[in-house]
Amino acid sequence: MNEKEKKDELLDDGINLDDGKRTSIRLTPENASFFRSEGGLISMELRGESGEVERFERVAVFRSFPITAPDEFLSVREISVIKNEHGDEIGMIRHASDFDEETQRLFAEELDRRYFTPEILKIGSVKEKFGYSYWDCETTAGHIVFVINNPFSNIRAMTDGKVYINDIDGNCFTVSDPKKLDSASYRKIEIYL
Amino acid sequence: MKLMYDLPEADARTLADVSKGEGLMYCVPYNIEGERFVKGFLAVTNRALYKLLDGELLLRVPFAGSDDFRIEVMYGSCGFYVRTEGVSRLICRFISGRNLARYSVILRACEILCEQPDSEPITNSLPERFCPKCGRPYVNNTTICPYCMDKWEVYKKMFAMTKGLRLMMCFPFIVAIFSVIFSFVVPWIEAKAVNGYLEPLTGTASGDRAGFLLIVVAIVSIDLFQRALSVLQSRFSSLSGNRFIQMLENLLYEKLESLSLSSLQRRSTGDLMSRVNTDTGVMQDFVTNQLPNIFVQGVSFLVALIVMLTINPLMCLFIFVPVPFSVFLVKKFWSTMNLKNRRGWNLENKVNRQLQDTFSGIRVVKCYGQEKNEVERFRQTSMKSAKQTERNEMLFDTFFPIVSFAIRLGSYLILFYGNMLLFRGAMALGTLHQINAYANIVYSPLVWMTSVPRNVSRFLTSASKVFEIMEETPEVGDIGLPIDIKIEGEIKVKNITFGYESYDPVLTNVSVDIHPGEMIGIVGHSGSGKTTLINLIMRLYDVNNGAIEIDGVNIRDISQAALRSQMGVVLQETFLFAGTIRENIAYACPGASDEDIVNAAKTANAHDFIMDLPQGYDTVVGANGYSLSGGERQRIAIARAIIHNPKILILDEATAALDTETEKLIQDALQKLVRNRTTLAIAHRLSTLRNADKLLVLDHGRVAEFGTHAELLENKGIYYKLVMAQQKMGAMPKADKEKKVATA
Repeated sequence: MNEKEKKDELLDDGINLDDGKRTSIRLTPENASFFRSEGGLISMELRGESGEVERFERVAVFRSFPITAPDEFLSVREISVIKNEHGDEIGMIRHASDFDEETQRLFAEELDRRYFTPEILKIGSVKEKFGYSYWDCETTAGHIVFVINNPFSNIRAMTDGKVYINDIDGNCFTVSDPKKLDSASYRKIEIYL
Repeated sequence: MKLMYDLPEADARTLADVSKGEGLMYCVPYNIEGERFVKGFLAVTNRALYKLLDGELLLRVPFAGSDDFRIEVMYGSCGFYVRTEGVSRLICRFISGRNLARYSVILRACEILCEQPDSEPITNSLPERFCPKCGRPYVNNTTICPYCMDKWEVYKKMFAMTKGLRLMMCFPFIVAIFSVIFSFVVPWIEAKAVNGYLEPLTGTASGDRAGFLLIVVAIVSIDLFQRALSVLQSRFSSLSGNRFIQMLENLLYEKLESLSLSSLQRRSTGDLMSRVNTDTGVMQDFVTNQLPNIFVQGVSFLVALIVMLTINPLMCLFIFVPVPFSVFLVKKFWSTMNLKNRRGWNLENKVNRQLQDTFSGIRVVKCYGQEKNEVERFRQTSMKSAKQTERNEMLFDTFFPIVSFAIRLGSYLILFYGNMLLFRGAMALGTLHQINAYANIVYSPLVWMTSVPRNVSRFLTSASKVFEIMEETPEVGDIGLPIDIKIEGEIKVKNITFGYESYDPVLTNVSVDIHPGEMIGIVGHSGSGKTTLINLIMRLYDVNNGAIEIDGVNIRDISQAALRSQMGVVLQETFLFAGTIRENIAYACPGASDEDIVNAAKTANAHDFIMDLPQGYDTVVGANGYSLSGGERQRIAIARAIIHNPKILILDEATAALDTETEKLIQDALQKLVRNRTTLAIAHRLSTLRNADKLLVLDHGRVAEFGTHAELLENKGIYYKLVMAQQKMGAMPKADKEKKVATA
């Protein structure tokens, strides 16, 4: 409270040196609950220590480690007033599994949207022409033709063998285990690994 | 940029049903729904947004009651969100690379339509990154679609460029014709020699020495002649090649310098350099080497075919039957080999990158005691690279002989069939030899021919990149009859709006009046548009709306030469060109006398440190020269501005990166410099602006405050906050501020 008073005093003076950022806390089922909002996104209720409830019509959920730990350290953020910027962090969730299944489903939906990485099932053809590499693939999101700028740097195999492909449009595709692809597909991607 | 796509019939019908009486303004695609890629469309009328997919209406968002449209760039896609009656919704998702710029316009349009439902559609002039015809991406940083470009157009332009060099460039073709003729005549003469003089069976080898001698002389002289020609050809082609490339480079460079900053900044330095260096090189190589070669190989191939058909059609068949097979094999071999090699190079690069990385960060490595880990990391990368190289070489060494064998398959067939004929006495030994020689003529270009399409496409891409620059019209151009005025220094900024991308304004409705000789300090958070305003006053860009007037004349009407010659700039990062200090000071007026230079340096407080240098004013600075400190460079830049003697002076963070001691020296120098000139100074450190007559505070591209120091402190607005904040950090001592308030 003391700090809040100090802040108010500063505001009275017309100076706000504190840029108004909220302090991030650890979110647990005890202090936070999440709902599907009317618009199909995530709403949130935050219970303060003294019992006051803060409601957020919409929050955004981010992964701290999208590749290495997708369901841990989730960052829950406000929607910022300034466009093109992420809002302040309300808090962090240690494990998604801290919350009930309904909430986990809600997170998964939002995260699948925010980290849209279809898995490649079959590689139809790969053609290199005019400095670009054209890929014709079947993915979990359907059939797509995408273009890679510099395949040797935009196809990356992680230490666990999972392969990430970034195309020139900003799409990202994955292959969880290239060896499990059919042999014709494997041969096409193998050269770049 | 395309903002009105044609709807598929089903979607169009649905839209017509649900949006009766509304005017369709935009129609753009969206790409992702749920977990799937789809071909959906978002239609914008003057009343609402409609999300359509396969003839179905998925969502309607009325403008009435909607606010807070926003695009979120996510990983792998973008989302377009809206809030209607307090409820946030995801409208649709799209692929960023294809549609982000489009949706930025839609976003802006939606915001406008919410406020004024019947406004005109806005547009943007941003080029597409994709060929509208085939949907493939353009060549990097260009608007060239290698699949759809008009190849003849490129060849025609190329031909037009060779003016003055054509005669010289024809020479390789003339030589080529000779060499084709000779390559066919020589085997024919040899056949004559073998058949007439050497063949043991006929027993005619004894007589007619003169005839044999003639053949020998013919062969030797043809060889000599051919060599002489080839010397001439090499000389001519290197001469014409050099001239061609020099002319091309100069033309391109001249054009690049004339382009406005906005079109140059769209491209990276690397891209521009590669157009001047690499692309012109590719063009030159194509014109002087590839083209004659294609000609020679093509013609000899055809001639060999005809000649052999006339000598023995069946044998000809033997030669050409394995050709498709060999070509296929060679192509396959090289395409695999190329990929493997690229992989090898890539790994090698990785090794180099790692070396560079650790060497430049060696202090960090040592500080954290990571030497062992780094060695291990390096060992692994280099081992990977070595293994790849090993594998590649093994592959090459194994398969290359096989491929060469396959290529020569035809020769073996000829040998086999030819010998059969020979034994039967149906063919002379010399003729067999002749046919064998022709077979070689056919086979040798085969391997080379497989690379022709690649070379041609490389040339076409490079050439179109070069022509793209050559044909670009400068955006900031002089009007028909520009005025040369003598600037007094009055600047009127009249309600200007400007954005580097037209849909994303950096400055909105900015108006400022600056009187001659005034010093104006421009203050604001980073990103508030300070530098942009200055860029506009220097006319590095043209405003989108409104006008900037200098002495009552619109700057668009003032010739750029007159404008720039009366403006001086000192930037935060001073760029010194490779050359002596003397040359760098006199950069803007090369005719300056030594006295002027020394005086300017003295005024800029630079004279003393220059005299401390071993070679004084003749010390070489810049990339490979003596390295000066930031403050010293800054003072040279000030001297550069002083000698230029501009009526309008611009200081963009001129002292931001310096310590207080140096800043004081520079402040003194600037003090002398700003006298009798209109000065615009941007500064983060407010103490720099203590002498400003007026301060202009920009906030998010708008004028927040404008007035004297005292007025603004009175206002207790943004400037007051900034002063207080800096005071807290100790950048501006309290006493100083109070003194200022007192004097103001």
